[in-house]
Amino acid sequence: MTGLTIHRDASLKTSRRHVRMVTAAALIVSAVAAGSVQAQDFDADATINIGSLYEPQNLDNTAGAGQGINEAFNSNVYEALFQLTDAGTVVPALAKDYKVSEDGLTYTFTLQQGVKFHSGDPLTSKDVKFSIERVTAADSKSSRKNSLKPIAGIETPDEATVVVKLASRSISLPYNLSYVWIVNDKATNLTASEDGTGPYQLEDWRRGSSLALTRFDGYWGRKPTNGDVVFQYFTEATALNNALLTGSVDIITSVQSPDSLAQFKGNKDFTVAEGKSTTKLLLAYNDRVAPFDNVKVRKALARAVDDARLLKAVWGDSGTPIGSMVPPTDPWYVDLTKSDAYDPASAKALLAEAGYPNGFTFTIDTPNYDPHPIAAQFLQTELAKVGVKVNINVITANEWYTKVYKAHDFQATLQEHVNHRDIVFYGNPDFYWGYNNSKVVDLIKQSEASATTDEQTARLKEANTIIAEDAASNWLYLYPQIVVSAKSVTGYPLNGLNSQFFVAGIKKDD
Amino acid sequence: MTDTRLIATSPEGRTRRSLTFTIGAVVVGLHLVIGLLTLFWAPYDPTAMSGGRLEAPSFAHLAGTDRLGRDLFTLIMIGSRIALIVGTGAVIIGAALGVTIGLLAAFASKTLDDVLAAGLDILIAFPTLLLAMLIVASSDGASLWTAVVAIGIANSAIVARLTRILAKRVLRMDYITAARISGTSWIRVVTIHILPNIWPTLLVNLALQFGLAVIAEASLSYLGLGAPPPNASWGRLLQEAQGTVYTAPFGAIAPGIALVSLVIGINLLADGLRDIGDPTRRRRR
Repeated sequence: MTGLTIHRDASLKTSRRHVRMVTAAALIVSAVAAGSVQAQDFDADATINIGSLYEPQNLDNTAGAGQGINEAFNSNVYEALFQLTDAGTVVPALAKDYKVSEDGLTYTFTLQQGVKFHSGDPLTSKDVKFSIERVTAADSKSSRKNSLKPIAGIETPDEATVVVKLASRSISLPYNLSYVWIVNDKATNLTASEDGTGPYQLEDWRRGSSLALTRFDGYWGRKPTNGDVVFQYFTEATALNNALLTGSVDIITSVQSPDSLAQFKGNKDFTVAEGKSTTKLLLAYNDRVAPFDNVKVRKALARAVDDARLLKAVWGDSGTPIGSMVPPTDPWYVDLTKSDAYDPASAKALLAEAGYPNGFTFTIDTPNYDPHPIAAQFLQTELAKVGVKVNINVITANEWYTKVYKAHDFQATLQEHVNHRDIVFYGNPDFYWGYNNSKVVDLIKQSEASATTDEQTARLKEANTIIAEDAASNWLYLYPQIVVSAKSVTGYPLNGLNSQFFVAGIKKDD
Repeated sequence: MTDTRLIATSPEGRTRRSLTFTIGAVVVGLHLVIGLLTLFWAPYDPTAMSGGRLEAPSFAHLAGTDRLGRDLFTLIMIGSRIALIVGTGAVIIGAALGVTIGLLAAFASKTLDDVLAAGLDILIAFPTLLLAMLIVASSDGASLWTAVVAIGIANSAIVARLTRILAKRVLRMDYITAARISGTSWIRVVTIHILPNIWPTLLVNLALQFGLAVIAEASLSYLGLGAPPPNASWGRLLQEAQGTVYTAPFGAIAPGIALVSLVIGINLLADGLRDIGDPTRRRRR
């Protein structure tokens, strides 16, 4: 019954979303048409103020700067050979064109002509080689360094050509290259300054408060539709909402509180837009340690938790239930919400089968910011019903990084995972959750070596199904992705895939 | 025992009473009764999701429900208990440490006294909350007890400085000199002569420290460094209600009222104690 309701809700939601997208497309078409008749109806030199909760730690995405730097800099200040568009497709950016050899081991990229760095230096193949090697370097802290492992060597036969040789096929190389910033090989001190090729250059960075970008006049591509962009950083969602309400910011990149929806929905001065989310809330077990090394225990815990009720508690009527790590926007999505669906009776039976008829006790390391503490308490109540006692250990984000992510010193933890296509983490037995199923490791490895995307999709679908059946982690729900803006501002990205937020197309009414 | 010492009789022979003391005592007493009651009974199981999401106050849920559908009134009642435990614990630790250090400084040689006084001034200049955060962060995970100890240590600095000043003043009295010359042991000097003399002022200060400890615990819990869930600390209830403060304001207002009433009650109690203990102040009013 519950399953049925969820299903109906989901399909309704999709159709609503579909309608909204069609309307949006119609609006864009009409806007373009109108624009050709009228002169500009927007201020070409406007300053766009963007409110965000994700302040970068530094300005270098290979130095542990956090998701905030991708939000502010990807495609805005730095460009890559490819761009992951807001719609989720990978399109050429600084690479004008590329060729793949028959065996899939040699990629030849031709660079765009006339591209200049902000310092005035022209873009050459040497910069590209330098930039890729910066990410794969031993001391790089890039979170996806592993995915560039197949690269065996980079050659630069001439100024405009880069040849990447692979040790094994890597079908997602263009995708993976979309987060490799191309930086000037003469640049120094990239943690506090920048030298990219993007449409904006860094004007001012005030730690703890804001990051200002200004239009780069020597940009090779299309001129941005605004003059300056200021990212203003907040530590707390309510303060961020108030900033939008009082007009000190124009856009909130990603709304993290359902309360703000109530404030902005139905208010004619604001636009509330729902995009497609890739952010999942996980109860991640340490699959290396007992009792979580036992599949039956993990399955039992998955069945003991009413995810839909948790989602409702945290988000009201937004968000989507999920059955595995893969959100509906990834090509290898399979509807797995029915795998280990809510069923406390069978959870109890499974626990008994696993040798825990009287349950057990474990600790959830819980980050101290919303929604983790409330989710932890919900889990505590739900699991108590099947005899499992939960202790909640509240930790800070830093402690989470050192204790859980680095030292693997935990039993279970709550964490939000924001990345697109991050099922690949289950193919890495050294990842913090320590899931190790040789079949999945193989499938994920092979999927990367696929010759066609169909092959890749088929393999990842299989891996996806296995991790769901293994209940590798407990995937609680998919966050909604909501962007709220003042009515006068349009043209911003809605989905924010991989935390990116492209600002070049944002327009503000005159 | 309390009567004879705290509610002293005036020269006219009438008992000196204080209205602020009475109000304070009633409010704090109410919290105490509620806190004790939760050991045996509460309207709902505090972890049970007994209602819908963010329900408004009703007869079934006097203070409404939180996001998980738990009864807020129950949680606030338990919050009273936690606030009182933290207040009492922190004051006991603060008093034990503070009085000891303060007396030590008062009796010590000039150099040691100066060092202790400077140390205390530094500790006092350090914000209580920040000090408590440091202590919690350096311990192995936050719990109710790390919060109690942290706040108690922060409180002890203020108590110690006060004790030192009060004790020094008494030590300068002729009868102390007389007692010391006649060979009275210092333990006897402290217990018979000093403590009874500084006790009333110290007690008023400890009552104020109690109020500050309650606020400090709420602040720590608000930051996620206090009693971990499911301990229903008011600070944590406030923090959880913050995200929905516009759509369900009562979730923040109710624990706020509880916190403010207890702290005001304690301050009134402290004021009343001072009035009773200080006849000059009372006459002036």
